[in-house]
Amino acid sequence: MPKLTIDGREVEVPPGTNLIEAARAAGVEVPYFCYHPYLSVVGQCRICMVEVVGQPRLAIACATPATDGMVVKSETSERTKEAREAVMEFLLANHPLDCPVCDQAGECLLQDHAATEQGGQFATHMVETRRTFPGYERRLIGPHVIQNQNRCIHCSRCIRFTREISETAALTYKSRGNSAYIDTFNGEPFTDPFSACAADVCPVGALTVRDFRFRKRAWKLRATPSVCPGCSIGCNLFLNHHERVVYRFTPRENPEINATWLCDHGRFLADSLNAQSYLHPHHRAAGQLSRVTWSEALRALGFDLKAAHTLRVVGSANLSNEELFLARELFVGHLKGEMVVPVWAGEHRRMKNGRGEWLRSTDAHPNSQGARRLGLRIVDPAGLSRFLYGAADLTIVLDPTAHPVLAEEEALQLLRVSPTVAFARTEHPIANVASWLLPTTSMACHDGTLTSSTGAVQRFSAAFEPPGDVRRTAHGGMSPTVPTLAQPYGPPAEARPLWFLLTVLARELGATTLDLPDVGSVFALMSGREKGFAGLDWDKLAGSGDDSFRERQHVG
Amino acid sequence: MSTKPILSVPTEQLENTTFDATMEERILELLKRYPTTRATLIPVLWLCQERYGWLAPGVIRAVADRLGESPAYVEGVATFYTMFYTKPPAKFVLQACETLSCAVCGGKELLHHLESRLGIKPGEKTPDGVFQLVGVQCLGACGTAPVVQINDDYYENLTIERLDAVLDDLKGRS
Repeated sequence: MPKLTIDGREVEVPPGTNLIEAARAAGVEVPYFCYHPYLSVVGQCRICMVEVVGQPRLAIACATPATDGMVVKSETSERTKEAREAVMEFLLANHPLDCPVCDQAGECLLQDHAATEQGGQFATHMVETRRTFPGYERRLIGPHVIQNQNRCIHCSRCIRFTREISETAALTYKSRGNSAYIDTFNGEPFTDPFSACAADVCPVGALTVRDFRFRKRAWKLRATPSVCPGCSIGCNLFLNHHERVVYRFTPRENPEINATWLCDHGRFLADSLNAQSYLHPHHRAAGQLSRVTWSEALRALGFDLKAAHTLRVVGSANLSNEELFLARELFVGHLKGEMVVPVWAGEHRRMKNGRGEWLRSTDAHPNSQGARRLGLRIVDPAGLSRFLYGAADLTIVLDPTAHPVLAEEEALQLLRVSPTVAFARTEHPIANVASWLLPTTSMACHDGTLTSSTGAVQRFSAAFEPPGDVRRTAHGGMSPTVPTLAQPYGPPAEARPLWFLLTVLARELGATTLDLPDVGSVFALMSGREKGFAGLDWDKLAGSGDDSFRERQHVG
Repeated sequence: MSTKPILSVPTEQLENTTFDATMEERILELLKRYPTTRATLIPVLWLCQERYGWLAPGVIRAVADRLGESPAYVEGVATFYTMFYTKPPAKFVLQACETLSCAVCGGKELLHHLESRLGIKPGEKTPDGVFQLVGVQCLGACGTAPVVQINDDYYENLTIERLDAVLDDLKGRS
């Protein structure tokens, strides 16, 4: 392994590592615009120049492999500083400097470099007016991407992304030299299934994501490590949120699964986490749904559950391992009910991992692998109908979105036959037949783990508390919401995460081992009992804490 | 000299271009001469420009399909080189040399004369689609400056009068 010195810091890196990565390992930040850890190296932007002692000319760090005994000077070299200033002068000669109105501001490599490396101090020799591309300033090039060619610094990252990663080769430079611009063939729509990643890799605001543009300034957003709920591949991502609103998903690096990419399908599910159709627990009496308090609801439900001889539970492969485990332990283990997990094949999805291999999935659920590991019975639509056929004392639906057939009239008729408890978040016709409607929250409000189709147990974290002030009370019930004048986060909703409701129910039912204070404890119990989760440590599953650079963190 | 006019096929007719047997034969010949398929791209584009007069989007797509490249890539190459026409050119493209030798031998005056006679600026076409004016860099015929290249032919040792006569002739034949 080559050992080298960068700005006086010694570091040992694997052979073949380039100087940018070696410097990063040594804690030295070498600026770059065109380099990307998962794209080919082209050495186009020239900002990463460093001085290698003993070599007459400056070297570009992205294309120079670390060798043993190398002495590299980055920030400590006057020549490097001078060269970078010259590069910036050229780049800024035509860059519009419209940061105040640019959506990339705050997560822009050019802006970061201008502000930090050179302290915002620039002198320029340019007297000419800036080159512009009339008609290409705010052009929708695809369903999700807006182009502003004036801002482009010609790093070719987006082009390399479409050529090397998404393999559509849909983007190209047209014309040449000073007038070169990014375009698709014949100006046709940029319909790449990974199109928003082209905007992600754009170091400046030349390509921005339409769906996120001007929704929120990048520096306002907080990033919580999470996992994509879009399919069974389980891409790692950050929930970017502010004041209890999820604004977007951004990729989180995981070389085994999604490198630093997200497909458009998964990425634009972000907004769906904000839906909260049901805010309060409801009970149907005489055909009419009326609002009840959580204490009333859970106590009555506990009573019903104890009295039920036949209990059916419809699980969901969208739930976390912990929720499925709690439900199984409580309803099957403790109450001797029956539980199934309906699974449906979704569209074909794919993702390229860090080694350039395609991962594929036709499973629309993020956690059907987890349901299998917990030994739950997986059923298809026909199996689900058979399961729901006939009367039972109580039917519990943990997630009405578990399978589309649950929204169909046939299933609703079957559920109408006997009392049904529905835990739901988004609007669903099951609300018309359920005798208990209990509001749950999105994955943004609780911790948990999901098992991907590759078998990786991946943890997602709570981004924010669910709105409203409903808490466990000392005696185990739940206190009602007290509406106040100051409700900064919307209505005084009482929706609570499913795992939490299940632990409260466990207490009502006397299953004291399941009355656990947090998801971590549920996981600990599960990993102790389940072969499929043995040896896993909740704390070690926590999302990547590496926020050292934008491609890994994707927030300013 | 009898300079052949460029006959550009209209865009609509090139929308779904497919290569006929003659074209296919010539492409196969070219493929043999280059180490990779990608290296054949520029000669194939030349071939198409000869055949269709210009590189319409439909032609670019056909080339991309034939050589296994993405249409965007082929279009990128085609737009990089100014000698590939990605818009239908005029029948006669006047490429007036602007480099030193021609400039000092009267090239500048020739260009100005062309501009005023045709009423267009470099890069533009006359409304009747007969002439197109381009200012170009050294054509490599400094010994016979000033030079104007019209389509594939060089017109050397030009004076304003000789150029006028050439243009009259071309205009008459168009």
